[in-house]
Amino acid sequence: MDILISSVSQGLLWSVMAIGVYLTFRILDIADMTAEGSFPLGAAITAHALVSGVGPIAATLLGAGGGALAGLVSGILHTKFKIPDLLTGILTMTGLYSVNLFVMGRANVSLLANVKTAFSLVDLGDSTWDTILVGAVVVAIVIVALVYFFNTEMGLAARAVGDNQAMSAANGINNDTMKIIVYMVSNALIALSGSLMAQTNGYADISMGIGTLVIALAAIIIAEILVRNLSFGARLVTIIVGAVIYRLIIAWVLDMGVDPNALRLFYALMLAVFLALPLVQKGLVQWRERRENKARMAKED
Amino acid sequence: MKALEVKQLHQYFEKGTVNENHALKGIDLTLDPGDFVAIIGGNGAGKSTLLNSVAGSIPVTHGQVRIAGKDVTYQGVAKRAKLIARVFQDPKAGTAPRLTVEENLSLALKRGQWRNFWAGGVKRRDRDLFRQKLASLGLGLEDRLTAEIGLLSGGQRQAVTLLMATLQAPELLLLDEHTAALDPQTSATVMALTEQLVAAQHITTLMITHNMQDALRYGNRLIMLDHGQIAVDLKGPEKEGLTVADLMRLFKAQSGAELSDDAVLLS
Repeated sequence: MDILISSVSQGLLWSVMAIGVYLTFRILDIADMTAEGSFPLGAAITAHALVSGVGPIAATLLGAGGGALAGLVSGILHTKFKIPDLLTGILTMTGLYSVNLFVMGRANVSLLANVKTAFSLVDLGDSTWDTILVGAVVVAIVIVALVYFFNTEMGLAARAVGDNQAMSAANGINNDTMKIIVYMVSNALIALSGSLMAQTNGYADISMGIGTLVIALAAIIIAEILVRNLSFGARLVTIIVGAVIYRLIIAWVLDMGVDPNALRLFYALMLAVFLALPLVQKGLVQWRERRENKARMAKED
Repeated sequence: MKALEVKQLHQYFEKGTVNENHALKGIDLTLDPGDFVAIIGGNGAGKSTLLNSVAGSIPVTHGQVRIAGKDVTYQGVAKRAKLIARVFQDPKAGTAPRLTVEENLSLALKRGQWRNFWAGGVKRRDRDLFRQKLASLGLGLEDRLTAEIGLLSGGQRQAVTLLMATLQAPELLLLDEHTAALDPQTSATVMALTEQLVAAQHITTLMITHNMQDALRYGNRLIMLDHGQIAVDLKGPEKEGLTVADLMRLFKAQSGAELSDDAVLLS
Protein backbone atom coordinates (compact mmCIF):
# COMPACT_ATOMS: atom_id res chain seq x y z
CA MET A 1 0.00 0.00 0.00
CA ASP A 2 2.80 2.38 0.91
CA ILE A 3 4.46 1.59 -2.38
CA LEU A 4 1.25 2.36 -4.25
CA ILE A 5 0.81 5.70 -2.50
CA SER A 6 4.40 6.78 -3.02
CA SER A 7 4.24 5.66 -6.67
CA VAL A 8 1.11 7.77 -7.17
CA SER A 9 2.81 10.81 -5.66
CA GLN A 10 5.96 10.33 -7.74
CA GLY A 11 3.94 9.46 -10.84
CA LEU A 12 1.92 12.67 -10.58
CA LEU A 13 5.05 14.81 -10.57
CA TRP A 14 6.67 12.83 -13.39
CA SER A 15 3.49 13.03 -15.46
CA VAL A 16 3.92 16.82 -15.68
CA MET A 17 7.23 16.17 -17.44
CA ALA A 18 5.77 13.37 -19.56
CA ILE A 19 2.97 15.67 -20.74
CA GLY A 20 5.58 18.27 -21.66
CA VAL A 21 7.57 15.72 -23.63
CA TYR A 22 4.36 14.50 -25.29
CA LEU A 23 3.81 17.94 -26.85
CA THR A 24 7.03 17.90 -28.85
CA PHE A 25 7.24 14.13 -29.27
CA ARG A 26 3.72 13.46 -30.55
CA ILE A 27 2.25 16.77 -31.62
CA LEU A 28 5.35 18.09 -33.43
CA ASP A 29 6.93 14.67 -34.03
CA ILE A 30 10.23 15.95 -32.63
CA ALA A 31 12.56 14.16 -30.20
CA ASP A 32 13.63 17.08 -28.02
CA MET A 33 16.56 16.31 -25.72
CA THR A 34 16.42 19.81 -24.25
CA ALA A 35 14.29 18.06 -21.61
CA GLU A 36 17.29 16.67 -19.76
CA GLY A 37 18.62 20.21 -19.35
CA SER A 38 15.37 22.03 -18.63
CA PHE A 39 14.34 19.54 -15.94
CA PRO A 40 17.33 20.35 -13.67
CA LEU A 41 17.08 24.01 -14.78
CA GLY A 42 13.60 24.23 -13.23
CA ALA A 43 14.94 22.53 -10.10
CA ALA A 44 17.98 24.82 -9.93
CA ILE A 45 16.06 28.06 -10.36
CA THR A 46 13.39 27.07 -7.83
CA ALA A 47 15.94 25.84 -5.27
CA HIS A 48 18.00 29.00 -5.62
CA ALA A 49 14.89 31.19 -5.36
CA LEU A 50 13.55 29.33 -2.31
CA VAL A 51 16.87 29.53 -0.51
CA SER A 52 16.99 33.26 -1.33
CA GLY A 53 13.63 33.72 0.35
CA VAL A 54 11.28 33.84 -2.64
CA GLY A 55 7.78 32.46 -1.97
CA PRO A 56 7.11 28.86 -3.11
CA ILE A 57 4.56 29.69 -5.82
CA ALA A 58 6.72 32.43 -7.33
CA ALA A 59 9.80 30.19 -7.09
CA THR A 60 7.97 27.36 -8.88
CA LEU A 61 6.74 29.68 -11.62
CA LEU A 62 10.25 31.09 -12.06
CA GLY A 63 11.52 27.55 -12.57
CA ALA A 64 8.88 26.91 -15.24
CA GLY A 65 9.72 30.25 -16.87
CA GLY A 66 13.35 29.20 -17.11
CA GLY A 67 12.22 26.07 -18.96
CA ALA A 68 10.25 28.21 -21.41
CA LEU A 69 13.42 30.18 -22.17
CA ALA A 70 15.35 26.95 -22.76
CA GLY A 71 12.55 25.91 -25.13
CA LEU A 72 12.82 29.26 -26.90
CA VAL A 73 16.53 28.68 -27.52
CA SER A 74 15.99 25.16 -28.88
CA GLY A 75 12.98 26.32 -30.91
CA ILE A 76 14.95 29.09 -32.59
CA LEU A 77 17.96 26.85 -33.27
CA HIS A 78 15.72 24.23 -34.83
CA THR A 79 13.38 26.41 -36.90
CA LYS A 80 15.41 29.50 -37.82
CA PHE A 81 18.75 27.78 -38.32
CA LYS A 82 17.36 24.44 -39.50
CA ILE A 83 19.53 22.43 -37.10
CA PRO A 84 18.11 18.89 -36.84
CA ASP A 85 15.90 18.42 -33.76
CA LEU A 86 18.14 15.86 -32.06
CA LEU A 87 21.24 18.03 -32.42
CA THR A 88 19.34 21.11 -31.25
CA GLY A 89 18.37 19.31 -28.07
CA ILE A 90 21.90 18.09 -27.44
CA LEU A 91 23.29 21.62 -27.93
CA THR A 92 20.86 23.27 -25.54
CA MET A 93 21.13 20.46 -23.00
CA THR A 94 24.92 20.70 -22.97
CA GLY A 95 24.84 24.45 -22.60
CA LEU A 96 22.28 24.20 -19.82
CA TYR A 97 24.64 22.07 -17.72
CA SER A 98 26.84 25.14 -17.21
CA VAL A 99 23.83 27.41 -16.81
CA ASN A 100 22.45 25.13 -14.09
CA LEU A 101 25.78 25.11 -12.25
CA PHE A 102 25.87 28.86 -12.52
CA VAL A 103 22.32 29.20 -11.16
CA MET A 104 22.97 26.89 -8.22
CA GLY A 105 26.52 28.08 -7.59
CA ARG A 106 27.50 24.49 -6.81
CA ALA A 107 26.50 20.97 -7.85
CA ASN A 108 23.87 20.52 -5.18
CA VAL A 109 21.53 22.85 -3.31
CA SER A 110 19.55 21.33 -0.45
CA LEU A 111 16.38 22.82 0.90
CA LEU A 112 16.49 22.79 4.66
CA ALA A 113 13.40 21.69 6.57
CA ASN A 114 12.52 25.27 7.46
CA VAL A 115 12.35 26.34 3.77
CA LYS A 116 8.74 26.65 2.67
CA THR A 117 8.01 24.71 -0.54
CA ALA A 118 4.97 24.33 -2.77
CA PHE A 119 4.14 21.23 -0.76
CA SER A 120 4.11 23.02 2.56
CA LEU A 121 1.23 25.15 1.29
CA VAL A 122 -1.07 22.28 2.32
CA ASP A 123 -0.90 20.20 5.43
CA LEU A 124 -2.60 16.82 5.44
CA GLY A 125 -0.36 15.59 8.23
CA ASP A 126 1.65 13.35 5.92
CA SER A 127 4.19 14.58 3.38
CA THR A 128 3.32 11.93 0.79
CA TRP A 129 -0.32 12.98 0.83
CA ASP A 130 0.74 16.62 0.60
CA THR A 131 2.70 15.71 -2.53
CA ILE A 132 -0.29 13.88 -3.98
CA LEU A 133 -2.66 16.79 -3.33
CA VAL A 134 -0.37 19.48 -4.73
CA GLY A 135 0.71 17.23 -7.60
CA ALA A 136 -2.92 16.46 -8.49
CA VAL A 137 -3.88 20.13 -8.46
CA VAL A 138 -0.91 21.07 -10.66
CA VAL A 139 -1.57 18.25 -13.15
CA ALA A 140 -5.25 19.13 -13.29
CA ILE A 141 -4.48 22.78 -14.04
CA VAL A 142 -1.91 21.77 -16.67
CA ILE A 143 -4.29 19.40 -18.45
CA VAL A 144 -7.24 21.80 -18.43
CA ALA A 145 -5.02 24.62 -19.71
CA LEU A 146 -3.50 22.48 -22.47
CA VAL A 147 -6.84 21.08 -23.63
CA TYR A 148 -8.17 24.63 -23.73
CA PHE A 149 -5.15 25.97 -25.60
CA PHE A 150 -5.01 23.22 -28.21
CA ASN A 151 -8.64 23.87 -29.08
CA THR A 152 -8.22 27.61 -29.62
CA GLU A 153 -7.51 29.14 -33.03
CA MET A 154 -3.79 29.16 -32.29
CA GLY A 155 -3.87 25.68 -30.73
CA LEU A 156 -5.52 24.21 -33.84
CA ALA A 157 -2.84 25.88 -35.91
CA ALA A 158 -0.12 24.31 -33.75
CA ARG A 159 -1.65 20.86 -34.21
CA ALA A 160 -1.93 21.41 -37.96
CA VAL A 161 1.80 22.22 -38.08
CA GLY A 162 2.58 18.86 -36.48
CA ASP A 163 0.24 17.11 -38.90
CA ASN A 164 0.97 18.67 -42.27
CA GLN A 165 3.35 21.59 -42.70
CA ALA A 166 2.56 22.21 -46.36
CA MET A 167 -1.10 22.55 -45.46
CA SER A 168 -0.52 24.81 -42.48
CA ALA A 169 1.74 27.13 -44.46
CA ALA A 170 -0.75 27.26 -47.32
CA ASN A 171 -3.34 28.41 -44.79
CA GLY A 172 -1.11 31.22 -43.59
CA ILE A 173 0.21 29.57 -40.45
CA ASN A 174 3.78 30.50 -39.55
CA ASN A 175 5.22 27.02 -38.95
CA ASP A 176 8.36 28.31 -37.21
CA THR A 177 6.46 30.45 -34.72
CA MET A 178 4.06 27.64 -33.86
CA LYS A 179 6.92 25.19 -33.32
CA ILE A 180 8.74 27.66 -31.07
CA ILE A 181 5.58 28.14 -29.00
CA VAL A 182 5.17 24.38 -28.53
CA TYR A 183 8.89 24.06 -27.68
CA MET A 184 8.43 26.72 -25.00
CA VAL A 185 5.27 25.25 -23.46
CA SER A 186 6.83 21.79 -23.50
CA ASN A 187 10.03 22.83 -21.74
CA ALA A 188 8.15 25.03 -19.27
CA LEU A 189 6.23 21.93 -18.15
CA ILE A 190 9.40 19.84 -17.98
CA ALA A 191 11.07 22.51 -15.84
CA LEU A 192 7.92 22.70 -13.70
CA SER A 193 8.23 18.97 -13.09
CA GLY A 194 11.91 19.41 -12.14
CA SER A 195 10.99 22.27 -9.83
CA LEU A 196 8.36 20.18 -8.02
CA MET A 197 10.72 17.21 -7.85
CA ALA A 198 13.40 19.34 -6.18
CA GLN A 199 10.87 20.62 -3.68
CA THR A 200 9.56 17.19 -2.75
CA ASN A 201 13.04 15.63 -2.59
CA GLY A 202 14.44 18.58 -0.66
CA TYR A 203 17.33 19.28 -3.00
CA ALA A 204 18.31 20.23 -6.53
CA ASP A 205 21.20 18.36 -8.11
CA ILE A 206 23.18 19.06 -11.27
CA SER A 207 22.79 15.46 -12.48
CA MET A 208 19.10 15.03 -11.75
CA GLY A 209 18.20 15.42 -15.43
CA ILE A 210 20.09 12.36 -16.61
CA GLY A 211 17.72 9.63 -17.78
CA THR A 212 14.58 11.71 -17.23
CA LEU A 213 13.66 11.71 -20.91
CA VAL A 214 13.51 7.92 -20.87
CA ILE A 215 11.21 8.01 -17.84
CA ALA A 216 8.88 10.49 -19.55
CA LEU A 217 8.84 8.57 -22.82
CA ALA A 218 8.11 5.33 -20.95
CA ALA A 219 5.07 6.96 -19.32
CA ILE A 220 3.84 8.06 -22.74
CA ILE A 221 4.41 4.69 -24.37
CA ILE A 222 2.73 2.81 -21.50
CA ALA A 223 -0.26 5.14 -21.86
CA GLU A 224 -0.40 4.47 -25.59
CA ILE A 225 -0.13 0.71 -25.14
CA LEU A 226 -2.90 0.75 -22.51
CA VAL A 227 -5.40 2.61 -24.67
CA ARG A 228 -4.96 3.37 -28.35
CA ASN A 229 -6.44 6.29 -30.31
CA LEU A 230 -7.65 8.74 -27.72
CA SER A 231 -8.65 12.37 -27.90
CA PHE A 232 -5.97 14.81 -26.75
CA GLY A 233 -7.39 15.42 -23.26
CA ALA A 234 -8.03 11.76 -22.54
CA ARG A 235 -4.52 10.94 -23.72
CA LEU A 236 -3.03 13.39 -21.23
CA VAL A 237 -4.99 11.74 -18.41
CA THR A 238 -3.74 8.30 -19.43
CA ILE A 239 -0.17 9.64 -19.34
CA ILE A 240 -0.64 10.18 -15.59
CA VAL A 241 -1.65 6.53 -15.32
CA GLY A 242 1.37 5.58 -17.43
CA ALA A 243 3.71 7.54 -15.16
CA VAL A 244 2.24 5.92 -12.02
CA ILE A 245 2.53 2.42 -13.52
CA TYR A 246 6.13 3.16 -14.41
CA ARG A 247 6.92 4.21 -10.83
CA LEU A 248 5.23 1.03 -9.60
CA ILE A 249 7.42 -1.09 -11.87
CA ILE A 250 10.53 0.73 -10.63
CA ALA A 251 9.44 0.33 -6.99
CA TRP A 252 8.83 -3.37 -7.56
CA VAL A 253 12.24 -3.79 -9.24
CA LEU A 254 14.00 -2.08 -6.33
CA ASP A 255 11.99 -4.21 -3.93
CA MET A 256 13.28 -7.29 -5.76
CA GLY A 257 16.76 -6.23 -4.68
CA VAL A 258 18.10 -4.90 -7.98
CA ASP A 259 21.24 -2.81 -7.48
CA PRO A 260 20.20 0.90 -7.70
CA ASN A 261 23.35 1.46 -9.78
CA ALA A 262 21.80 -0.75 -12.47
CA LEU A 263 18.59 1.27 -12.49
CA ARG A 264 19.33 3.42 -15.55
CA LEU A 265 20.24 0.33 -17.57
CA PHE A 266 16.91 -1.06 -16.51
CA TYR A 267 15.10 2.20 -17.50
CA ALA A 268 16.62 1.99 -20.97
CA LEU A 269 15.90 -1.73 -21.40
CA MET A 270 12.33 -1.32 -20.30
CA LEU A 271 11.67 1.56 -22.69
CA ALA A 272 13.22 -0.46 -25.52
CA VAL A 273 10.83 -3.31 -24.69
CA PHE A 274 7.82 -0.98 -24.56
CA LEU A 275 8.75 0.56 -27.90
CA ALA A 276 9.21 -2.84 -29.51
CA LEU A 277 6.03 -4.29 -28.03
CA PRO A 278 3.51 -3.17 -30.65
CA LEU A 279 5.64 -4.65 -33.43
CA VAL A 280 6.18 -7.91 -31.57
CA GLN A 281 2.46 -8.10 -30.97
CA LYS A 282 1.78 -7.59 -34.68
CA GLY A 283 4.36 -10.24 -35.55
CA LEU A 284 2.72 -12.75 -33.23
CA VAL A 285 -0.71 -12.15 -34.77
CA GLN A 286 0.73 -12.57 -38.25
CA TRP A 287 2.58 -15.72 -37.23
CA ARG A 288 -0.64 -17.24 -35.86
CA GLU A 289 -2.64 -16.26 -38.94
CA ARG A 290 -0.02 -17.79 -41.19
CA ARG A 291 -0.04 -21.05 -39.23
CA GLU A 292 -3.84 -21.21 -39.49
CA ASN A 293 -3.66 -20.44 -43.16
CA LYS A 294 -1.10 -23.19 -43.73
CA ALA A 295 -3.38 -25.67 -41.96
CA ARG A 296 -6.31 -24.53 -44.11
CA MET A 297 -4.34 -24.82 -47.32
CA ALA A 298 -3.03 -28.25 -46.32
CA LYS A 299 -6.62 -29.40 -45.89
CA GLU A 300 -7.49 -28.09 -49.38
CA ASP A 301 -4.78 -30.28 -50.87
CA MET B 1 -6.14 46.04 -61.41
CA LYS B 2 -4.71 42.72 -62.51
CA ALA B 3 -5.32 39.61 -60.42
CA LEU B 4 -1.84 38.29 -61.13
CA GLU B 5 1.18 39.84 -62.79
CA VAL B 6 4.31 37.81 -63.37
CA LYS B 7 7.14 39.86 -64.91
CA GLN B 8 10.37 38.55 -66.39
CA LEU B 9 10.39 35.54 -64.10
CA HIS B 10 13.47 33.35 -64.31
CA GLN B 11 14.20 30.32 -62.17
CA TYR B 12 17.49 28.49 -62.09
CA PHE B 13 18.20 25.26 -60.24
CA GLU B 14 21.74 24.34 -59.19
CA LYS B 15 22.87 27.70 -60.50
CA GLY B 16 26.59 27.91 -61.24
CA THR B 17 27.12 24.16 -61.36
CA VAL B 18 27.40 21.81 -64.33
CA ASN B 19 23.86 20.66 -63.54
CA GLU B 20 22.45 24.16 -63.93
CA ASN B 21 18.86 24.04 -65.12
CA HIS B 22 17.29 27.20 -66.42
CA ALA B 23 13.74 26.11 -65.59
CA LEU B 24 11.85 29.33 -66.34
CA LYS B 25 13.14 31.70 -69.02
CA GLY B 26 11.57 35.09 -68.55
CA ILE B 27 7.88 34.34 -68.07
CA ASP B 28 5.53 37.29 -68.54
CA LEU B 29 1.98 36.48 -67.56
CA THR B 30 -0.95 38.67 -66.62
CA LEU B 31 -4.32 37.44 -65.40
CA ASP B 32 -7.50 39.52 -65.28
CA PRO B 33 -9.82 39.12 -62.32
CA GLY B 34 -12.04 36.07 -62.87
CA ASP B 35 -9.71 34.43 -65.40
CA PHE B 36 -9.62 30.64 -65.19
CA VAL B 37 -6.35 29.56 -66.82
CA ALA B 38 -5.37 25.99 -67.60
CA ILE B 39 -1.64 25.37 -67.95
CA ILE B 40 -0.34 22.37 -69.85
CA GLY B 41 3.10 21.25 -70.91
CA GLY B 42 5.39 18.23 -70.93
CA ASN B 43 7.75 17.05 -68.25
CA GLY B 44 10.24 19.76 -67.34
CA ALA B 45 8.30 22.43 -69.21
CA GLY B 46 8.19 24.51 -66.03
CA LYS B 47 4.53 24.18 -64.99
CA SER B 48 5.20 23.29 -61.38
CA THR B 49 8.10 25.72 -61.10
CA LEU B 50 5.83 28.52 -62.27
CA LEU B 51 3.07 27.56 -59.85
CA ASN B 52 5.51 27.20 -56.95
CA SER B 53 7.05 30.58 -57.75
CA VAL B 54 3.61 32.18 -57.62
CA ALA B 55 2.73 30.31 -54.41
CA GLY B 56 5.99 31.28 -52.73
CA SER B 57 7.30 27.78 -52.12
CA ILE B 58 10.24 28.51 -54.43
CA PRO B 59 11.88 31.87 -53.68
CA VAL B 60 11.93 34.34 -56.56
CA THR B 61 15.25 36.05 -57.22
CA HIS B 62 14.83 37.05 -60.85
CA GLY B 63 11.67 38.88 -61.81
CA GLN B 64 8.56 40.00 -60.02
CA VAL B 65 5.24 38.54 -58.83
CA ARG B 66 2.28 40.78 -57.99
CA ILE B 67 -1.06 39.53 -56.78
CA ALA B 68 -4.08 41.84 -56.77
CA GLY B 69 -1.69 44.75 -57.13
CA LYS B 70 0.50 43.78 -54.18
CA ASP B 71 4.14 42.93 -54.70
CA VAL B 72 4.66 39.52 -53.08
CA THR B 73 7.99 38.70 -54.76
CA TYR B 74 9.86 38.36 -51.49
CA GLN B 75 7.08 36.87 -49.36
CA GLY B 76 6.96 33.24 -48.23
CA VAL B 77 4.06 30.81 -48.52
CA ALA B 78 2.45 31.71 -45.19
CA LYS B 79 2.49 35.46 -45.95
CA ARG B 80 1.02 34.98 -49.42
CA ALA B 81 -1.77 32.83 -47.97
CA LYS B 82 -3.71 36.05 -47.36
CA LEU B 83 -4.13 36.28 -51.13
CA ILE B 84 -3.67 32.70 -52.35
CA ALA B 85 -5.43 29.40 -51.74
CA ARG B 86 -3.92 26.20 -53.05
CA VAL B 87 -4.99 22.64 -53.78
CA PHE B 88 -2.20 20.10 -54.20
CA GLN B 89 -1.90 17.04 -56.41
CA ASP B 90 -1.68 14.68 -53.44
CA PRO B 91 -5.17 14.52 -51.86
CA LYS B 92 -3.47 14.07 -48.49
CA ALA B 93 -1.46 17.28 -48.83
CA GLY B 94 -4.29 19.77 -48.42
CA THR B 95 -5.65 18.64 -45.06
CA ALA B 96 -4.29 17.83 -41.59
CA PRO B 97 -5.11 14.11 -41.14
CA ARG B 98 -5.42 13.93 -37.35
CA LEU B 99 -7.69 16.96 -37.21
CA THR B 100 -11.42 16.60 -37.71
CA VAL B 101 -13.32 17.80 -40.76
CA GLU B 102 -14.63 20.85 -38.88
CA GLU B 103 -11.20 21.66 -37.46
CA ASN B 104 -9.70 21.61 -40.94
CA LEU B 105 -12.49 23.82 -42.27
CA SER B 106 -12.06 26.22 -39.33
CA LEU B 107 -8.35 26.51 -40.05
CA ALA B 108 -9.10 27.34 -43.68
CA LEU B 109 -11.76 29.88 -42.71
CA LYS B 110 -9.00 31.92 -41.02
CA ARG B 111 -6.54 31.54 -43.87
CA GLY B 112 -4.00 34.34 -43.72
CA GLN B 113 -5.54 35.96 -40.62
CA TRP B 114 -4.21 36.35 -37.07
CA ARG B 115 -5.12 33.42 -34.82
CA ASN B 116 -5.53 34.16 -31.11
CA PHE B 117 -5.18 31.84 -28.15
CA TRP B 118 -8.45 32.53 -26.37
CA ALA B 119 -11.23 32.08 -28.93
CA GLY B 120 -12.27 28.52 -29.70
CA GLY B 121 -10.75 27.13 -32.88
CA VAL B 122 -14.07 25.69 -34.04
CA LYS B 123 -16.91 28.15 -33.55
CA ARG B 124 -20.45 27.00 -33.04
CA ARG B 125 -21.78 29.67 -35.40
CA ASP B 126 -19.58 28.33 -38.23
CA ARG B 127 -20.91 24.79 -38.02
CA ASP B 128 -24.10 25.61 -39.96
CA LEU B 129 -22.00 27.12 -42.74
CA PHE B 130 -19.75 24.02 -42.80
CA ARG B 131 -22.72 21.66 -42.86
CA GLN B 132 -24.38 23.57 -45.67
CA LYS B 133 -21.18 23.77 -47.74
CA LEU B 134 -20.41 20.08 -47.17
CA ALA B 135 -23.95 19.12 -48.14
CA SER B 136 -23.44 20.91 -51.47
CA LEU B 137 -20.63 18.44 -52.25
CA GLY B 138 -23.20 15.64 -52.23
CA LEU B 139 -20.80 13.24 -50.52
CA GLY B 140 -22.70 12.88 -47.26
CA LEU B 141 -19.92 14.63 -45.35
CA GLU B 142 -22.30 17.05 -43.62
CA ASP B 143 -22.85 14.39 -40.95
CA ARG B 144 -19.16 13.77 -40.39
CA LEU B 145 -17.98 17.11 -39.06
CA THR B 146 -16.22 15.49 -36.11
CA ALA B 147 -14.60 12.63 -38.05
CA GLU B 148 -10.82 12.71 -38.40
CA ILE B 149 -10.20 13.81 -41.96
CA GLY B 150 -7.51 11.14 -42.41
CA LEU B 151 -10.33 8.57 -42.40
CA LEU B 152 -11.87 10.02 -45.57
CA SER B 153 -11.08 8.71 -49.06
CA GLY B 154 -8.73 10.59 -51.39
CA GLY B 155 -11.61 11.96 -53.47
CA GLN B 156 -13.49 13.12 -50.39
CA ARG B 157 -10.38 14.79 -49.00
CA GLN B 158 -9.70 16.56 -52.28
CA ALA B 159 -13.31 17.79 -52.41
CA VAL B 160 -12.98 19.12 -48.84
CA THR B 161 -9.64 20.74 -49.72
CA LEU B 162 -11.34 22.56 -52.61
CA LEU B 163 -14.06 23.68 -50.25
CA MET B 164 -11.42 24.88 -47.78
CA ALA B 165 -9.64 26.82 -50.51
CA THR B 166 -12.82 28.67 -51.49
CA LEU B 167 -14.44 29.01 -48.04
CA GLN B 168 -12.93 32.47 -47.86
CA ALA B 169 -12.61 33.56 -51.51
CA PRO B 170 -8.90 34.05 -52.37
CA GLU B 171 -7.57 36.61 -54.83
CA LEU B 172 -5.94 33.70 -56.63
CA LEU B 173 -6.62 29.97 -56.55
CA LEU B 174 -3.78 27.60 -57.48
CA LEU B 175 -4.69 24.09 -58.57
CA ASP B 176 -1.66 21.84 -58.88
CA GLU B 177 -2.78 18.83 -60.98
CA HIS B 178 -5.39 18.45 -58.29
CA THR B 179 -7.28 15.61 -60.01
CA ALA B 180 -4.23 13.65 -61.21
CA ALA B 181 -4.15 11.23 -58.27
CA LEU B 182 -7.88 10.42 -58.43
CA ASP B 183 -9.69 7.71 -60.39
CA PRO B 184 -11.43 8.93 -63.59
CA GLN B 185 -14.90 9.00 -62.03
CA THR B 186 -13.81 10.96 -58.93
CA SER B 187 -11.57 13.14 -61.05
CA ALA B 188 -14.58 14.19 -63.15
CA THR B 189 -16.63 14.91 -60.02
CA VAL B 190 -13.87 17.05 -58.51
CA MET B 191 -13.40 18.95 -61.81
CA ALA B 192 -17.13 19.70 -61.99
CA LEU B 193 -17.03 20.85 -58.37
CA THR B 194 -14.02 23.04 -59.16
CA GLU B 195 -15.85 24.78 -61.99
CA GLN B 196 -18.90 25.30 -59.80
CA LEU B 197 -16.97 26.76 -56.84
CA VAL B 198 -14.77 28.95 -59.04
CA ALA B 199 -17.72 30.28 -61.02
CA ALA B 200 -19.84 30.98 -57.94
CA GLN B 201 -17.32 33.49 -56.59
CA HIS B 202 -15.55 34.47 -59.85
CA ILE B 203 -12.23 33.33 -58.42
CA THR B 204 -9.14 33.94 -60.53
CA THR B 205 -7.67 30.47 -61.02
CA LEU B 206 -4.43 29.02 -62.28
CA MET B 207 -4.75 25.29 -62.91
CA ILE B 208 -1.99 22.92 -63.95
CA THR B 209 -3.32 19.83 -65.61
CA HIS B 210 -1.91 17.02 -67.67
CA ASN B 211 -5.31 16.22 -69.02
CA MET B 212 -5.69 18.01 -72.36
CA GLN B 213 -9.43 17.41 -72.46
CA ASP B 214 -9.83 19.16 -69.12
CA ALA B 215 -7.58 21.98 -70.27
CA LEU B 216 -9.77 22.51 -73.33
CA ARG B 217 -13.04 22.07 -71.55
CA TYR B 218 -12.51 24.21 -68.46
CA GLY B 219 -11.52 27.82 -68.12
CA ASN B 220 -11.42 30.80 -70.47
CA ARG B 221 -7.72 30.68 -71.22
CA LEU B 222 -5.15 28.03 -72.06
CA ILE B 223 -1.40 28.30 -71.74
CA MET B 224 1.11 25.76 -72.94
CA LEU B 225 4.59 25.89 -71.52
CA ASP B 226 7.63 24.50 -73.28
CA HIS B 227 11.20 24.59 -72.02
CA GLY B 228 10.44 27.31 -69.50
CA GLN B 229 8.64 29.59 -71.93
CA ILE B 230 5.04 30.24 -72.86
CA ALA B 231 4.61 28.48 -76.22
CA VAL B 232 0.87 28.90 -76.69
CA ASP B 233 -1.52 31.36 -75.04
CA LEU B 234 -5.15 31.22 -76.14
CA LYS B 235 -7.91 33.42 -74.71
CA GLY B 236 -11.71 33.43 -74.88
CA PRO B 237 -12.91 32.99 -78.47
CA GLU B 238 -9.53 31.59 -79.66
CA LYS B 239 -9.95 28.77 -77.20
CA GLU B 240 -13.57 27.94 -78.05
CA GLY B 241 -14.07 24.81 -80.10
CA LEU B 242 -10.41 23.88 -80.01
CA THR B 243 -9.56 20.17 -80.21
CA VAL B 244 -6.57 18.18 -78.98
CA ALA B 245 -5.40 17.88 -82.61
CA ASP B 246 -5.53 21.67 -83.06
CA LEU B 247 -3.51 22.06 -79.91
CA MET B 248 -0.79 19.72 -81.14
CA ARG B 249 -0.61 21.61 -84.45
CA LEU B 250 -0.35 24.92 -82.66
CA PHE B 251 2.40 23.63 -80.46
CA LYS B 252 4.39 22.43 -83.46
CA ALA B 253 4.01 25.75 -85.22
CA GLN B 254 5.07 27.70 -82.14
CA SER B 255 7.96 25.67 -80.87
CA GLY B 256 9.07 24.00 -84.06
CA ALA B 257 9.07 20.64 -82.36
CA GLU B 258 6.78 17.68 -82.61
CA LEU B 259 4.66 17.12 -79.56
CA SER B 260 3.47 13.65 -78.85
CA ASP B 261 0.15 13.48 -77.11
CA ASP B 262 1.78 11.09 -74.63
CA ALA B 263 4.42 13.63 -73.68
CA VAL B 264 1.70 15.87 -72.37
CA LEU B 265 -0.68 13.27 -71.11
CA LEU B 266 1.92 11.31 -69.23
CA SER B 267 3.85 14.20 -67.79
